[in-house]
Amino acid sequence: MNNALEYSKKHGIAIITILLFIVLALTTDGFFTERNLRNILDQQSTILIAASFMTIVIISGNFDISVSSIFVVSPLFALYVENATGNIFLAVIAGILIGLAMGAFNAIVVTYFKVNSFIATLATSFMFFGLGYLISDRSLMRPMGDAYQQIARTKFFDITSATWLAIGVVIIASIILTRTRFGRNVFATGGNQEAARLAGVSVSRVQAATFILLGGASALAGIVSSSRSISAQPSDDFSFVFAVLTAVIVGGTSIAGGKGAIWRTVAAAFFLAFMSNGFNLNQIDPLWQRIILGLVIVIAVAIDSWSQRKNA
Amino acid sequence: MEKHNNNAKAFISFDKVSKSFGATKALINCSVSFEVGKIHALVGENGAGKSTLGKLILGVHKHDSGSIKIDGKESFLSSPRESVKQGLVGISQELSLLPDRSVVDNIAIGRETTIGPFVSNKQTLEKVEAVMEKYDLYIEPSRVVGSLSVADQQKVEILRALNTNARLIVFDEPTARLASHEADQLHNLVHSLAKSGTAVVYISHFLEEVLKISDTITLLRNGEKVRTEPTSKETKKSLIEGMTGRDAGNLFPKKPKINEKSEVLLKVKSLSRANEFKDVSFEIKKGEILGIAGLVGSGRSELAHAIYGNRMPDSGSIELNGKEFITKNVAHSIKNGMAMVPESRRDQGLILERSLLENTSLPYLEQFTSWIYGLNKNDEYSEVDDSCKTTMIKHGGLEKEVQYLSGGNQQKVLFARAAMNKPKLLIADEPTRGVDIGAKQVIYELISQLSKVGEAVLLISSEVEEIIGMAHRTLVMSRGKVVAELKGNQITKSAIMEAAFEQD
Repeated sequence: MNNALEYSKKHGIAIITILLFIVLALTTDGFFTERNLRNILDQQSTILIAASFMTIVIISGNFDISVSSIFVVSPLFALYVENATGNIFLAVIAGILIGLAMGAFNAIVVTYFKVNSFIATLATSFMFFGLGYLISDRSLMRPMGDAYQQIARTKFFDITSATWLAIGVVIIASIILTRTRFGRNVFATGGNQEAARLAGVSVSRVQAATFILLGGASALAGIVSSSRSISAQPSDDFSFVFAVLTAVIVGGTSIAGGKGAIWRTVAAAFFLAFMSNGFNLNQIDPLWQRIILGLVIVIAVAIDSWSQRKNA
Repeated sequence: MEKHNNNAKAFISFDKVSKSFGATKALINCSVSFEVGKIHALVGENGAGKSTLGKLILGVHKHDSGSIKIDGKESFLSSPRESVKQGLVGISQELSLLPDRSVVDNIAIGRETTIGPFVSNKQTLEKVEAVMEKYDLYIEPSRVVGSLSVADQQKVEILRALNTNARLIVFDEPTARLASHEADQLHNLVHSLAKSGTAVVYISHFLEEVLKISDTITLLRNGEKVRTEPTSKETKKSLIEGMTGRDAGNLFPKKPKINEKSEVLLKVKSLSRANEFKDVSFEIKKGEILGIAGLVGSGRSELAHAIYGNRMPDSGSIELNGKEFITKNVAHSIKNGMAMVPESRRDQGLILERSLLENTSLPYLEQFTSWIYGLNKNDEYSEVDDSCKTTMIKHGGLEKEVQYLSGGNQQKVLFARAAMNKPKLLIADEPTRGVDIGAKQVIYELISQLSKVGEAVLLISSEVEEIIGMAHRTLVMSRGKVVAELKGNQITKSAIMEAAFEQD
């Protein structure tokens, strides 16, 4: 009985995602086509890039709301550099660097000043959003050359570079989390901070690193997104981080820290994508999507807290 | 059961009650009854079923079979709420108070006197004070609970129970976190509760305590009742034999001899840290077990954490192997051959939801890491496996989460972790807290082994027997200062207690 629970906790999301895939493939015209599936992969790429590293931040026991603002600001800075230099390579590096820098700023506020990470990153979000308006002079920015749009749109083996980038990031993040000392320290820090400290883990350094990495990943996601739309615009839009968080949480990563896996975040991201795609293809009113999405999140979190109570 | 029932009124009685958690049988066909006005102790090793029995009374768990009768009537205690309604309340080791609220708020929570929809602070206070007066247990009602000592917080919880008109109170390891004079106070209180007609169920690891205060003792082993006897018929020896099912024997291994010529490993010179400890100086030789005794709050653990590099001392110096050692952080201390078994395995020791493997190797991952391959799990696995074997951990696989191990085995994990470093200095803070006698014996043997191979051990303990049985030499701390140093035969219970209670 305990084993069944344990198993469903570990693999439940994968099983449900596969089931949904099969059901949609059998019932819905246009779902199981190469084009549709490639589209889903392409659309999910930005979320996957950020969600992989968001999973790591949450496992280490923190939260990062500022993903949205980094997602908005980094491409603005990348385009600013692109417009000034015409060099696409420099532009991408600059965009990612500013993402890393914003992540480092979050890290300082959280680990040095010991501000609760949710509040800290909410506050820094506003600062970063403001920075976006400064960089762009409050207006829409476009790349000068054609190269910028190729970042996300180049195709290898019929699959967009955005998808390839996402696959790469997911693999790198998984290796970092499961195969390295740093990954172990992330789990230890989120699982029991005091015990980790007494075992010689530098808790602040580990947490700081998770924020910096997520800053870089959010920047990359932002650049990919702007390359796809061939523009970037300053805004105060928080929706990206909520999409990212939804994938992480539906994937069963515990918001209490110490537990979670990137592959489950990936499975959840696809579950959510299949669901919304299924609704669209069946032409169901999008209002139902919202209600059901909310229900799915509640169920995922309820399962997590229920299983924690079982263990207590 | 009725045989022992010398006219006292059975308040709640269990008849052939069983309870399982998954495949583990926590309680098997247990029949026992608790009487009004009596202190009934439950004794047994970890996992014997004492706490399960307590939790059935409190409605935390529901029994699988058998019947529970209250006042002779069949009852179903299906929730804690139901139990409270019946006058059954518990005082647990971990207190459940609101630390930022006042004493009176905590006591009256959920039972405030109201006038219409509004809480009447005055009447609520009067009611609480009446309860305090009735049981002669006074704590300033306006104090914020978080600012009270652990002992006083416990009193607040007891008062809360009394305020609900409790008829039976389950105390689960109530003295585990108390200093000994505080424990004495608690014993007096428990006595007066019983005298006023409350039934008391007393769960404790400390056998002396149980023998001192209880009227009846029920011995449990592996979920089954061994016997229920009046306390006067039991001795410490008979209880240990009954609990373990084997001869009491000697708990402590023979003290290894220290070579008089062996070198000093650690030298601490007038180490101080504000409000924690002051002007502490001592040295430990290689192969020596140095005990540190004293009351909880005497600065023992704080001193240990300063040596271990977890807190920075304000002044003073530390020499390790004849060279000045400047504490930087824990990782630095570990690299220099220190290891610590911290005071609380759950809060400071283990990452409960991670595997035995990960918990054991956590401080030493660097040695298994290469830039190209990342972690080398094979090497890690075999070293951890070795260490778990030397420390005799009973486990169902290194990949299993440590939360599923018993308390004694969890404690041994901390020793397995420490042993992996082949430390020169082991700091063991309350190394046998909350573990059963079998595990204790193993842990003592491990410490003794370490000392035999020339490692120095700093043994911090509140259990005087442990210090007497293990330490070559002992320091007694009181209010942050070393007040006595005892050697060999000088280490006696009275000498330690006298020093610990000395007023400046």
